Order: sequence, then C-alpha cells, then structure tokens
Amino acid sequence: MPKRRDILAIVLIVLPWTLLITVWHQSAITPLLAARKCKDDRHESRRDSRNTFTLKEPCTSENNKDIVEVVRTEYVYSRQPPWSDVLATLHVITPTYSRPVQKAELTRLANTFLHVPNLHWILVEDSQRQTLLVTRLLQETGLNYTHLNVETPRNYKLRGDMRDPRIPRGTMQRNLALRWLRETFSPNNSNSQPGIVYFADDDNTYSLDLFEEMRSTRKVSVWPVAFVGGLRYESPKVNTLGKVYGWKTVFDPNRPFAIDMAGFAVNLRLILFKPQAYFKLRGVKGGYQESSLLRELVTLSDLEPKAANCTKVLVWHTRTEKPVLVNEGKKGFTDSNVEI
Amino acid sequence: MTTKQLAKQKQTNNWFACLVVSLCISSDKLVFCPMLCVCVCSRRVAMATRMKLKLKTVFVLYFMVSLMGLIYALMQLGQRCDCAEHDMPKDRTISRLRGELHRLQEQMRKAEPTKLPHKLAVKPAQPTIYIITPTYTRFVQKAELTRLAQTFLHVPQLHWILVEDSPHKTPLVSGFLASSGLAYTHLHTPTPRDRKLQEGDPSWLKPRGAEQRNEGLRWLREDRRGQPGADTQLGVVYFADDDNTYSLQLFEEMRGTQRVSVWPVGLVGGMRYERPVVEGGKVVRFHTGWRPSRPFPLDMAGFAVSLKLVIANQDACFDGDAPMGFLESSFLQGLVTMDELEPKAENCTKVLVWHTRTEKPKMKREEALQKQGLGSDTAVEV
Repeated sequence: MPKRRDILAIVLIVLPWTLLITVWHQSAITPLLAARKCKDDRHESRRDSRNTFTLKEPCTSENNKDIVEVVRTEYVYSRQPPWSDVLATLHVITPTYSRPVQKAELTRLANTFLHVPNLHWILVEDSQRQTLLVTRLLQETGLNYTHLNVETPRNYKLRGDMRDPRIPRGTMQRNLALRWLRETFSPNNSNSQPGIVYFADDDNTYSLDLFEEMRSTRKVSVWPVAFVGGLRYESPKVNTLGKVYGWKTVFDPNRPFAIDMAGFAVNLRLILFKPQAYFKLRGVKGGYQESSLLRELVTLSDLEPKAANCTKVLVWHTRTEKPVLVNEGKKGFTDSNVEI
Repeated sequence: MTTKQLAKQKQTNNWFACLVVSLCISSDKLVFCPMLCVCVCSRRVAMATRMKLKLKTVFVLYFMVSLMGLIYALMQLGQRCDCAEHDMPKDRTISRLRGELHRLQEQMRKAEPTKLPHKLAVKPAQPTIYIITPTYTRFVQKAELTRLAQTFLHVPQLHWILVEDSPHKTPLVSGFLASSGLAYTHLHTPTPRDRKLQEGDPSWLKPRGAEQRNEGLRWLREDRRGQPGADTQLGVVYFADDDNTYSLQLFEEMRGTQRVSVWPVGLVGGMRYERPVVEGGKVVRFHTGWRPSRPFPLDMAGFAVSLKLVIANQDACFDGDAPMGFLESSFLQGLVTMDELEPKAENCTKVLVWHTRTEKPKMKREEALQKQGLGSDTAVEV
C-alpha cells in the first residue's frame, strides 16, 4: 500500500512540473517565432510594396503549350527608392575615364544603381577637370552622388601591355575617394551613420542581390566574382564553420587576398579607424592591388563570406569591347558636338 | 519515537527535499514563490503537529496550488511579453524596421493617391513596348540579361519577348526570367546549322538572330489575333540585342511611334554614331560610314515599329539569308518608305542607345583545369 501511494505521490509531484517546464520552454520560443514570421511577412510585403506586383496566373497560349507568358500589372518606379533611416548607406566608389563607351557604361550602371536604396555613388574621373558629360549624366539620373576627379600622372598611366608594372588603373581615383570619405565622415559618430564601402568598376555587371548581401558587412565581406583569373569564377574557400581559409583561384592563390576589386566590401567604420590604409601606388605586382589595401584593414579570419557561403555568383567581371572606329578617319566623320 | 515514526519522518523529509529541488529547477518566479511558501509552511505545520496533518492533505494542497499556477501560466502564453529584460537589440531593430516600413508605406500611399483611376485613364494612352531580344548561351549570357533587365525594370508598360537560340528552354534563362520581375514571354527556336556562326568565325560573317526575331514576331501576331479590338493593337515593337546599352529616355521616345521611328545609334558602323539626317522634320538620307547605299542603313537598335504595322503586314520578317548589313532592310523594306520614317531623339541629334559589345572572357585557365578534371563547380550558375 505505501508503495502505491509513493508512486502516486511521485507522479503527482513530477507531472505538473514537467508540464510546466515544457510549456514554458515552448512559450519562450514562440514570441520570437511570431516576431520572425511577422518579419518574414513584412519582408515579403516590403518587397511587394517596392515592386507592387500582382502576379496573374501564368497562362499558356493555345497553340504552344511550353510558351509561358507572365503578366504583371505594376512596375518598379524609375526614381531612386526613398532614403531609409534604418538601412546602412552603400558608398560605391567608381573610377572612370573618358573613352567612347564611357557614357554607355555609366548609363547602364546608373540604371542598376537606381534600384538600390540608400546608395551613394562616388564617381571619380581620371581627368584634370570634371567633364561635362559626367556632370550632366549624374544630374540627370537623380542618384545621390559625389563627383570627384584626379588625374593619373601621364607617365604612370597603364600602357597596353602589362610588362612594366605601372600604377594599376583607377588606384589614384579610389584613393581619392577613400580620402574624401575620411574627410567627410568622422569616426566618432560612426554608429549613427553606418556605411559600407564598395569598389565598383564601371564595366562590371552587378545583380541587385549583391547590394543587399553587402549591407550587413561588419568588417570586410567577400563573395565570388565571375570571369576573373581566367576562370568561370573565383571564390574564397569557406570551411564548414563559415570562415574563409583560402582562395579558390589558379592565378597566384598565395596572395594574401586573392580576390578581385569587385569581390569585397568594407565597413565604413573600418576605413575611418584605419586612416593610413590606402591602395599602394607603386611597386604593386599584378593582382596584388586589392591585397595592398585589405592587408592593412583585416586578417583572413575576420572575413565574412556572403552569397550563401560563397556559392552563388552575384557579380560578373564583364569587359566591354573597344569599339573599332575605323570609319571615322583622320578628321572625324561624325559631328563631334554630339555626345556619345 | 518509534523506528516506524522515524522512518516516516525521514520519508517526509525526503519528499520535502524533492519538492524543494523541483522548485529550484523551475525558474519561474510566479509559481516558485507560492510553492515555496506552501512547502515551508506545510513542513513547519507537519513538524509541529507531529504528522497529525496527513501527507495526503499536503499533497492535495500542493497539487491544487501547482495546478492553478499552471493554468495561470497557460493563460499567459498567448499574451504579449512585456518584460523588459527579454528586449534584445535584434528585437529592437526589428520593431524599428517595422516602424520604418509602415512610415514608408504610408509615404508611398500618399504620394500616389489616385493610382487606380490614374492607371485606368493612362491605359489607352500608353502603348506597350514589346521588346524582342534574341539570346544564346554563352558565358556572359546571364550577366548581359541581368543588366538588361535592370534597365527594363525602370520602363512602364514593357513586355519582354526573350527568344533563345536553342532547341529547348534553358533552365538558366527560365529561372532568370521568373525572378526578374518583368512581364515576359519566353520563346525558343534554334538557328539552322548552316546559318549559325561557327567557332572562330568573325561576328560579322553571318547575320545573327534572324530566326529568333521572326519567332518573336510570329508569337506577337498570333497573340494579337486571339484578342481582337483596337486597344490591343496599340503598341510598339523594338528589337533589342542583349549586349547593347539603352538609356531610359529612349523608351519614352519610341512609345509614340505611329509607323516606324528612327534615331541615332552610338558606336556602330565603325563610327562614333550612325544617324538618319533630318531636314524639315523628315529623314532625307542616312549618315553612316559603311555601305550607305543600303535601302535602310540602320542598326537593329536604331528603329522601332508600331504594332499595328507589324500586324497589318503579316509576312514582314527578317531574311536570314540577306547579305551582311541588309538584315534590317529586309524587314523594313516591305513596311515603310524613307519619307514615312518618324525621326526621334530631337530630330536625330541625340544618342540614346549604344551598340556596345561585351568581350569574351578569357577562359584559358578554366579550360586547362577542365582538361585535368578540376574545373570549377558546374552546379554554380554563372
């Protein structure tokens, strides 16, 4: 009899406590779950409100069943998205120089940037004076921009062949932009103005997802880049812990940072806290330019891999062919007043 | 005390010890405190009355109190947690973002108060631009289509007809189009082998994209046939190659095309730009350095045709066998004469489209690696 009572007693004690503990454990998680779910819903609706799509049923044509026609009823507006106080500002530094395809490159780059919220475009011309072409283009796009210029001294300009290691193209312009950032933003109130610095060349192609990936950079984030180093893509090697431990490249993988200019982004705070970090001007071997800056900012273990642990390609190192203007002749066949 | 009583007392002590331990496990103050009190009191009472108070009543008391505590906890489950110590910085950011989002949404709603009626009013007046783009698989295809889509996303009332040079739809293009956010039609048609450029052929050897553009026209005509009505014939057809660069102003210029409109194209024909020469609001000749004797010495990107004209002339299409540079003429010849052309871009003095070409990326290392079997992961889409 006592035994049964004991057992009953044990059960009576243990049961409500286990119930309580399990229930409370769950309830501690569910408020967070509810918040995350709401965040996801909000995230979806946020994307939807930006793009405001209402997807109709994909209707198939009567004749050809595998033609898919999709009709949307709204479109993305053609002006820059409104400035948000919450998102970090992306400072995109682009060096550019005058050549026939310059306006075309900058136009399609601007078309891309117009989709990205909180983007600040720092365009640095390789010229003695700011050209009218670039000034007008920047004004017409309506982007948030800063227009700088610095001329690379003539005897340092990159020649056709790479045999003499001169200053790689764009170095002085990128350094000027870094200096401008350090003069404009002070390291003290860096928390109120979070920013990310990205070096975007004017002939590359960027997907819009890339900019959202880099927005969460704490120090330096990295991702794969297509069409560099003679490969389909180069990427950092990421281990199972999510840390970068090497570089998946063929061209000199022993570089401290074997990555292309378009493959990393730096938090503005880091730029401001290390005011001595610049791209090295002279004596830089081919492919070591990025290392010359990153070496002074961060170590390999501090790198943050993005783009699904460096498995997706979100930026392509495209190069535009130089147009062959044979028919212009010596005097110039076309009217030079018409801007191209 | 007898041993039996001692034993019983020990048992009681054990039970109380268990109770206290189990209380300590529970981290919730709410049930902890009353339970602790009950325990202490009942223990004291039990000791004082020398086990007059039966263990059973103690347990019943304990059970009732804990049950009430549990019910109270369950009631608290659905309620919002208002305790400040759980407020983590992430939650704070989330609530700040939510507030920001609401504010922006309100702003947007205020900025376009008459969106719906505006749409209905604009619909008949704004013709849709149908863009026919032939494309083929190569390394830079996804990059080209990406930046093209980024331009098109800025243009209202645009319908993209993407025609692949392939016997079947590729997953790269299908996936890309689905996530692009544009209104599109995905078609495909392979180029016959004798018309196709071989490896090592210069790009100007054979006209490219003729079959694909014709397929686009065919679909457009069939699609319109199924929808009679004057409204559905309102539109402009433009042939946009996937490596060119288009300014947003171009699309607004071409939207008002009545028959065929023309404008300058930059970086084409071996010159800075090619353009029609306009005198008195009419095109009189073409300023081009290469074969100006062609009936229409234009580039594909230099003209747009109104949808009405395309439908009215069911047989007008591109002749894939036409000699180099005559592809555009083969299409336009049956549609329009030179004096019917409508000049755009400020009487053809502004360059709004550039015939850029993208370099073929050097894949020597990739090819060398692939020979060794160490090529880059093909599962990663580039």
